[in-house]
Amino acid sequence: MELAKNLQTTINRSYGKTDLYVDLAQSISGVLLIGFLWMHMLFVATIVVSPDLFNRLSIGLDEYYLAQVGIPATILLIIIHIFLALRRAPVRLRDMRITYRMAKMMNHFDTWIWVGQVVSALFVGVMASIHLWIILGAWPLRAATSAMRVASTGPADHTWGGFAFPFFIVFYVIFLIAGEYHGGFGLYRILVKWGWWDRHTMGWVLKGITVVIVGLGIAALYTFTQIAANLPAGGVIQ
Amino acid sequence: MGRQLTISCFRYNPNIPGDKPRMQDYKLEEHEGMTLFVALNEIREKQDPTLMFDFVCRAAICGSCAMLINGRPRLACKTMTSMLPSRFTVMPLPVFKLIGDLAVDTGTWFRDLQIRAEAWVHTNKKFDFNALEVRMENKTCEEIYDPEQCIECGCCVAACITANIRPDFIGATGINRVYRFLIDPRDERSNAEYYEVIGNEDGTFGCVGLMACDDLCPKDIPLQQNLAYVRRKMAAAGLKLDFKGVKTS
Ligand code: HEM
Ligand code: SF4
Ligand code: SF4
Ligand code: FES
Repeated sequence: MELAKNLQTTINRSYGKTDLYVDLAQSISGVLLIGFLWMHMLFVATIVVSPDLFNRLSIGLDEYYLAQVGIPATILLIIIHIFLALRRAPVRLRDMRITYRMAKMMNHFDTWIWVGQVVSALFVGVMASIHLWIILGAWPLRAATSAMRVASTGPADHTWGGFAFPFFIVFYVIFLIAGEYHGGFGLYRILVKWGWWDRHTMGWVLKGITVVIVGLGIAALYTFTQIAANLPAGGVIQ
Repeated sequence: MGRQLTISCFRYNPNIPGDKPRMQDYKLEEHEGMTLFVALNEIREKQDPTLMFDFVCRAAICGSCAMLINGRPRLACKTMTSMLPSRFTVMPLPVFKLIGDLAVDTGTWFRDLQIRAEAWVHTNKKFDFNALEVRMENKTCEEIYDPEQCIECGCCVAACITANIRPDFIGATGINRVYRFLIDPRDERSNAEYYEVIGNEDGTFGCVGLMACDDLCPKDIPLQQNLAYVRRKMAAAGLKLDFKGVKTS
């Protein structure tokens, strides 16, 4: 068996750098995505300052072709990231069972965090697709339209047979937390794998940043609902 | 009077046909300064001579007594029962081949590791019996001493989900072993040669960064630091390399 393994390595020598490139690409895609995510949240949070600022930034996105280039690039990045990161996830049922049992038995913090990362990845994957679909379908972004959307009570913006459910608020709160959790601990993992900092201090710094970003997100969502409440019925679409 | 301890112990002897894995409870009285190593020996002496577990040094040096103590990989000889609740479980380490009950064969796994990691000083210098040994800087010596403390207990391997689900993964102890030679000036290997040994998914690039190894190594080896060092070094080395391979199609 050993010999066969060595032969494999020898034959595949021309691919001797693949594992390195793939590992680097995974970490780089992770860093870029978390950079995007935090930027994105800062942009959205400008709504707390003023709807005007939010609108001006949004117009800027289109004017300077940031949206036209940035959005496809981000989508591509997410696809690359999923493709690379899935390699590490326990994908066989057998692996999932081992992972769950070991995590539960050892009750080791970082291991549980990672299990949570794999699970939150599924949420982020599905919810990011929905989010992009909705946003792109109603482009361009304006404070008023976003506010109406956040405050609406169903996918069709109407009650479901008399049953009003704050669909988008719930959606966005889950998405926000899942995304920040996944990305924040993802960055921690990258730094732990490559860096020379003390991981416990670093962990606390990243947790701090994550809490701030989630706070900003919640503040933005709240502001949107307030704006929506003050709009005339049906909303004024600019 | 010490506490009454109940040790719920994994029992299974694969060499007895028809034997089934099960948990068996042993009760005994705790006394001052008792380690799990002492407790297990008392059980074997006074209650059940068939109970299988390994130990040699009883001083955290030989690495044979590692087991899952309340689910966590630890050394039995370095675990005071006073740190544990009055009822706890002991199970054999996963990943390694089970010999019976709590005893596993870490030797075969580590033998394979030594070969794969080429864990010896590679040098072309002729050894001269009569000459004085070349002196080493104290600082270098201390740096090498730190990864060198690994006792091959297997705790970091058992604790690592990656090692559990990817049987070819070399584990933290393996990467740490390469680190030990990487910083040893006597080893004349080039970075390319180290890369060949460990610059792949079964080696340094296979580590996911779960840090169970770093938290659970009973010798407190700074595995996170050492693993990250190897990763950086191998990434830098790999990027510079030029591979010529066999075209298979
Ligand atoms: C905004 C979106 C996302 C961000 C910011 C993000 C960020 C990250 C980061 C920084 C890591 C750590 C990478 C590493 O250790 O090298 C990571 C890991 C991971 N990501 Fe994402 N990710 C996103 C979306 C997704 C999606 C949509 C999926 C899959 C459906 C996914 C699946 C995974 C998995 C399975 C891991 C664990 C890989 C490992 O442990 O090495 N991620 N993510
Ligand atoms: S690195 Fe630590 S946990 Fe791993 S085998 Fe060596 S001593 Fe044991
Ligand atoms: S950091 Fe995690 S994946 Fe890497 S060797 Fe340690 S336990 Fe395994
Ligand atoms: S008996 Fe040697 S390490 Fe525990």
